[in-house]
Formats: sequence, structure tokens, C-alpha cells
Amino acid sequence: MIEFEALANCASSGACIVNQVTSGLIIGMLLFLVASGLTLIFGVLNIINFAHGSFYMMGAYVAFTAYALTGNYFIAAIFGAIGAGLLGVFFERFIISRVYGQNVLLQLLVCYAFILIMDDVVKLVWGAEYLAMGIPDEFRLAPIRLFGGFIPPLYIFLIITAVVIGFGAMLLIAKTRFGSIVRAIAENPSMVGALGIRVPLYLALLFAIGCALAGVAGALAAPVRSLTPGMGLGILVESFIVTVIGGMGSIPGAFFAALILGLTRAVGSIGFPLFVDGAMFMMMALVLIFKPTGLLGGGGVKR
Amino acid sequence: MLEINGLVKKFGGVTATNDVSMSFAEGSLSAVIGPNGAGKTTLFNQITGHLLPDQGEILLNGENLVGLKPREIVAKGLGRAFQVASIFPTFSVLDALMSSVSAHEMKSEKLFQPFDNKVVRERAEQLLAVLGLESVGHVASSKISHGDQKVLDIGLALALKPRVLLLDEPTAGMGPDERWQMVRTVQRLWEDNNLTLIFIEHDMDIVFEIAQHIHVLRYGALIASGNADEIRTNEEVIEAYLGRELEEDA
Amino acid sequence: MSMFRNFSKEILWVLGAFLAIVFVGLFVDHPWPKDFLTSLFAFGLLAMSLNLLIGFAGMVSFGHAAYFAMGGYCFGLLLQSTSFTGSLGPYSVPLAIILAVFGTGVYAAAVGAICARLNEIYFAFLTLAFQMFLYSVILSWVDLTGGDQGLMGGIPRPLFLGIDLSQALDRYVFCAGLFCLCILFLRIIDKSAFGQSLRMIRDNQERAEFLGVRTYRIKVICFTIAGMIASVGGIILALFTSGAYPEWAFWAQSGEAIFMIMLGGSTVFVGPILGAVLLRLINDVVQMYTSHNELVTGIVILLVVLGLRRGILDFVIDKIKDRREAKFLADLEAKKEDQ
Repeated sequence: MIEFEALANCASSGACIVNQVTSGLIIGMLLFLVASGLTLIFGVLNIINFAHGSFYMMGAYVAFTAYALTGNYFIAAIFGAIGAGLLGVFFERFIISRVYGQNVLLQLLVCYAFILIMDDVVKLVWGAEYLAMGIPDEFRLAPIRLFGGFIPPLYIFLIITAVVIGFGAMLLIAKTRFGSIVRAIAENPSMVGALGIRVPLYLALLFAIGCALAGVAGALAAPVRSLTPGMGLGILVESFIVTVIGGMGSIPGAFFAALILGLTRAVGSIGFPLFVDGAMFMMMALVLIFKPTGLLGGGGVKR
Repeated sequence: MLEINGLVKKFGGVTATNDVSMSFAEGSLSAVIGPNGAGKTTLFNQITGHLLPDQGEILLNGENLVGLKPREIVAKGLGRAFQVASIFPTFSVLDALMSSVSAHEMKSEKLFQPFDNKVVRERAEQLLAVLGLESVGHVASSKISHGDQKVLDIGLALALKPRVLLLDEPTAGMGPDERWQMVRTVQRLWEDNNLTLIFIEHDMDIVFEIAQHIHVLRYGALIASGNADEIRTNEEVIEAYLGRELEEDA
Repeated sequence: MSMFRNFSKEILWVLGAFLAIVFVGLFVDHPWPKDFLTSLFAFGLLAMSLNLLIGFAGMVSFGHAAYFAMGGYCFGLLLQSTSFTGSLGPYSVPLAIILAVFGTGVYAAAVGAICARLNEIYFAFLTLAFQMFLYSVILSWVDLTGGDQGLMGGIPRPLFLGIDLSQALDRYVFCAGLFCLCILFLRIIDKSAFGQSLRMIRDNQERAEFLGVRTYRIKVICFTIAGMIASVGGIILALFTSGAYPEWAFWAQSGEAIFMIMLGGSTVFVGPILGAVLLRLINDVVQMYTSHNELVTGIVILLVVLGLRRGILDFVIDKIKDRREAKFLADLEAKKEDQ
């Protein structure tokens, strides 16, 4: 089951180690962005956005088109985030807010419907074929040499940007006035409403931010992943595993869990390629059995 | 019958139950009173297994209940009704009682036995009559009056044929008329069923009128126990209540 | 044999339904009704067993199709193994069914034991995650499962007890029999003390615990039974299509099953079957006009969920109940005024 020889070969080569660690970091940090959006929305609204992967997908496709039009990767990424954020506002206002406080069945169904619709919309607009954005012009630079391995500058940019944005979102919630209002809404929405604050507006904004995090992850990933309708679901399940392991509602928890998962994927692709998914699920099951609140999480998991 | 010895429960720095000992004689009707935050419901939660005490023991006929699960404690004959009526909203009143009877008959895991059978139905109908809920027997539990819901909650506990029954503020949220009606119902149920009944209550008139024995809690500690006359004249109790009223006035 | 006496009414009803279904098979020549009904047996069992979780116990699973697919794959793989059919001969079909159902039951019990302690949002997501796990196993274990091609080459169906499952009529009646047996079992649970415990858990789990109900244990048992019945649905579909395909384990299959329940009604016993019929019809009609049936299905779901907010039969039953209760309460008031 485990290919020890391949692992040993890799461990003895600096280039292989550097490659695997970089690819693990990219997987992990993109997951971190998606998961922090999921956990942000859950923390305040106590809703798991099952349609979260659709916003990741939209971010990627919008960025693809924006890059094709402008030729600028940075602008494309910003468009990806804004596109997913706007779609998030639409989804929150017209669909999910109508089932706030209702049973999970209805929430699940509207998300299911939204995923179906978005997948088909992408097929209508962009076609059902795989699309590839390719390495953007800005990053057609010589790779950086490290311990005998080569790291493309794009990868370094991706990793750093994802970490900065993810923790930026955490600071937004922890340190700003917007954040304190949103946290107050999570505690007691009717009280905050009585103070004259427009709760629905803040909820829509928060939802938009959560979706924009997924969108920017999709946009950043566009050069290194192929785009296809339905690409959102895989990342949704993985980012859920991240939030379970890290603890629902905790962004630092999501960071550590995403790191663990990304590296597991990278090492696993060499050492146990058939068992990578299994290893992730096993980790999640172990956390749920022994520490159901997640490694850095609060409470509220048990019924 | 039921005996509590040296019970301690702390939440962080707050001592919710501070070395409490009390005993309840078989067939007695006792009240637990005290100002808000005195730890009355916390005490109940420890007796029924919701909360694990840090120290002390809870003896039912000499058997320690500490560490048992709520349902194991229920099986030993200790029933409970809640401050906010805890019922099954979509069930009709009769269905709810039948469910409780069926659970008591150890049927809840039986795949091939009909839920609706003669024995269960007859007992549930008896209960319905005892509780005075016949007229709403076929109405959904969520649609009957608040007072009826509280009675139904007690009825669910009674279906288990408990020897000890704990009622957490049976008259909470009721108007004056409804309150006394409830008190009479509770008194009647106690007499007819040979229960050891313990209740939490805020209304002193009710407590002094029906309780044989009264335990007063303050800041988690037991400050007095005795009959109505003893409690009425107890200095510490007067201070606990008057002191609070003075603070509220200020 | 008190079980037969206790549930004689249910047994007669299901027997009647079975005879009616067989009647359709014998006297309608066109293949469409038989094909439609056979696929309905499969998806109906998926939806009905999921409703044991959702409608009865209030456990909203988003990964129920996993057990459906597992039933189909286990059954197909057993019969494709020549050593299995070779050594068991005429017993291989019934034995494959039993092994597939109980194998799925063991897996469902393990997943249920992990998930049943969680709150409902976590429960929904975790069941989905386990389904995606199974899906990725099916896709990546190509040697065993055929990967994204599915189990190809047909499933051999050796003759047993004079039943030849390669014959359309035999297969139809046999599938109808499996379906009716499962429906009877579900109906008995519906009427049993166990079924009532599930409803107690749905309405107020804490109170149920305080009335002495072992809620965790009951939820795990319920999850296991639901998984086993779903696997029978998968077996029927595997018999029908003579194969097994990874889409069966895809998340959208679970989403569809949830929508069947929601569409037909979760509080009425036959609600999910009605939902399955309606969704099949919607799909068939939409496919005639457009290839973008996901888009249309999504919009239909949004309209039903945000408009009706409950299933069609729920809606009807609620109306009847409301009227009856209003009348009853009005009578009560009138009586009080007379006194």
C-alpha cells in the first residue's frame, strides 16, 4: 500500500523535497482561503454554505475571462474576488436568507439547487470543456533555486498572497468596527437590530466577504489548475475537512489544518497515491472521535 | 429516600453548589427556594445527571447516582419536569403520553411491536384523565395553552411511574388563577401517586401553603431548612430576601 | 407469529400493491411502464430509506446515495467473480443480495457510529464527506470497480428457484418483490415502538433521553437500517442496468433523493415515493426539450422550497389537520360558553 522506496528516493533528493513541500503549501494555502470563507460564514450565521464551492468555481472562471481581456493577472484575481462576492450577495439576499432559522433540510436543498444552476450556467457561458489559463505573463520569470530544487516565482506569490488575505480576513473580524458589529450579531441579532444597525446589510456583506475569499482562491488557482464545471465540489469537501480538523469558526485552526492537509496530499501523491483521500478522511474521523470541537475550535458540535 | 451529601459544583471561579447536604423523606413534599442565581436548577441538574458534581454524593435509597447517565437515573425511579415545558411539539397530547408509557415499558427499541397497543393506550388515557387534559387529547402539543404544556411535561414524567419527582418551577410564566390551579394539580398528583415530590418555586405564598419542608439556597449554599414557620422567622432567610429587595430598590 | 397478527393490515396492503404491480407487468405489453416502475423501485427505496433518517429521526443525511451505490457495486462484483458463482451455482444470486445488504449495513453502522453524535449541520456535512470518500475510492480503484466506466461487461445472473433474471418479466416481478418487502419493513417500523422513538428523537432528543430512550443507540440502528434498505435499491438498479456506475455514489444522487422527499412530503409515509415519481417525470419532460436539465431542476427546486416550504402531501395533511383542529377548538369554546 505504501511505496516506501519512492518516499525514500524523494527524501534523499533536495529537489524532490522542495517540489513536494511547495506543492503541498500551494494546495494547503488555497484550501486555507476557501476554508476561512466557510468558517467565517459559519461563525456568524451558524450556517454551512454547501454552495461554497460554486463561488470558488466562479472566481476561477471570472478571472479566466478577465485575464483573457486585460492580460493582467492581478486585475484578473481582483475581478475573480469581486465576481464571487457579488454573486454571494445575490445568493444571500434572494435565496439563503429566506431559509435562515429553518431546518437544515431546506438550507441543504437551496444550496443543492444553486450548485446545479451554477454548474449549468458555467457550461452555458464557458462550455463544458476543460479550460486552462496558463502561467500569466507577469510570472514568466526564471525559477528560484533552492536546495537543488526550482521554485517558480508564481508559486511563492500564491502562497504569500493566500496567507496574507486569509489572516487579513481574520483581523477584519477581530479588530475592526465592522468585525465587532458582526460578532455582536452572532451573539444577539435582535439586540443589535434594536440599536439601529441594519443587520441584513451586515449579513449580506459578511456573506460577500466569505464568498470573495472562495472566489479569490479560485482566481489565484486558475493558472495552476484546469477549470471545469463542477470543480467546486472537491474543494468544498476538502475545505470542510479542514474546518472540522481545525475547529469550526477558527481561522488559525483552518490555517494549521490546511497546512497539514496540503502536505499530506503532497507526500501522499508519492508515498500512497491510492490512499490520499483515505488518509484525509481518516484524520477527520480521528479528530471527530477524540476532539469533536476540532484542534483549535470552540463548541457546538454535539447535538 | 433521597439524600444529598456534601455536593460541590464549580463553573470556573463561580461556586454554583457549595457543600450542600439535604435529605427528603419518603412521601414528603418539599420546596427548594432561593433568590435568582442561588443554584436551584444547577442542583436539580446534578440530581438528574445533566451535570456531574465535582464532589459529594446523591443517594437514592442508599444507592449513589453520581456518574450515572440521565436515562439510567430515570430508570431508578427519578422523574423530572422542566422550567420551560419540554414536550414533543408535533405529537398530539395523547401520543406524547403514549410515547412516554411505551418508553417506560422498555419498548423504545422494539422494531416489530406495534407502538399503538391496548396496554399503552389505556395507561395513557388514564394519565390524560388524571392530568385533566382529556379535552385536548387529540390536539398537537405545540398548540395547547402554556399551562397545559407544563401539565403535560409533568405527565410525561409521571408515565414513568417515578418514586421521586422533581419539578422545576411548575408555575413559571403563569397568571395568578392558572398558578393556583397548577398548585392544586401538583398537590393532587403528589397525594394520589405516593410521590416524594421536590419543587423549585419563587412564589412564597405557594411555598408556605403547600410545602412540608423547605430548603433555602443562597449563592450555592444551603442557609436554612425547616417547615414554613421556621423558615418564615429565620434571620438569615429574611436577610437573604430583604437584602435583595433593598438592593433592587436602591 | 404475533408479528403477522399485529401488522396484518400493513401486510395485506403491501400484498395488494404487489399484486397490482405484477398485474401491470403481465397485462401491459409496452416496456415503458415496466422500465419506469423498475427504476422507481430503485430510486423509491433510496428516497424512502433516506426518509427514515430525515422524516422520522430528523437526521438530515447528505450522503445517503453512498449506501445505494455500495449495494449495487457489492452485488455486481460478487456475481462477476467466477469463483463466487462457480462455487455457489444456483444460490449465488440470493446470497449475493444478502451479502451486499449486510456488507453495506456494516459500513453504514461504522459511519453512523461516528456521525450520530454530531449536531445536524455537522451530520449533514460529514455524511456527505463519507459519500465523497466512497466516490473517490470507486473512481481510483480502477482494477476492481472499472473507475469512471463503471462495472462493465454485464452482471451474470444464474438461474435460481426457477427464476431467470435475464428475462424481463422475471426480473420485473423479482424487483417488485424486493421493493414490496422493503416497503413492508419500513411500514412496520413506521407503526412500531421503535419508529415512535425515532419521532421522539426528531421532536425533542433531550426529553426522549430523559424518558429513558437510548437515543444514540437508536440513531445508529436507524442509520444502519436506512443504509441497508438503500442498498437494496442499488441492487435493483444493478439488476436493471446489468452494471453499476460511479454516478450512483456521486453527491448529486443524494441531493436528488433529498429533493424527492421534500417534493413528495416527509411526514407522510408514501410521500417520498410520490416525490420520486414526480422527479422522474420532471426529468423525462425536461430532457425532451433541453439538454440543460440541471438548470431547470435547480430552478424547480428553488421554486418548491422557497414557495411551498414543505412537500405536497405535507401541505395537504397540514391543511386537513388545521381544519380539524380549528373545528375542535371552536366546539370546545362553544361548550365552555354554554356552561
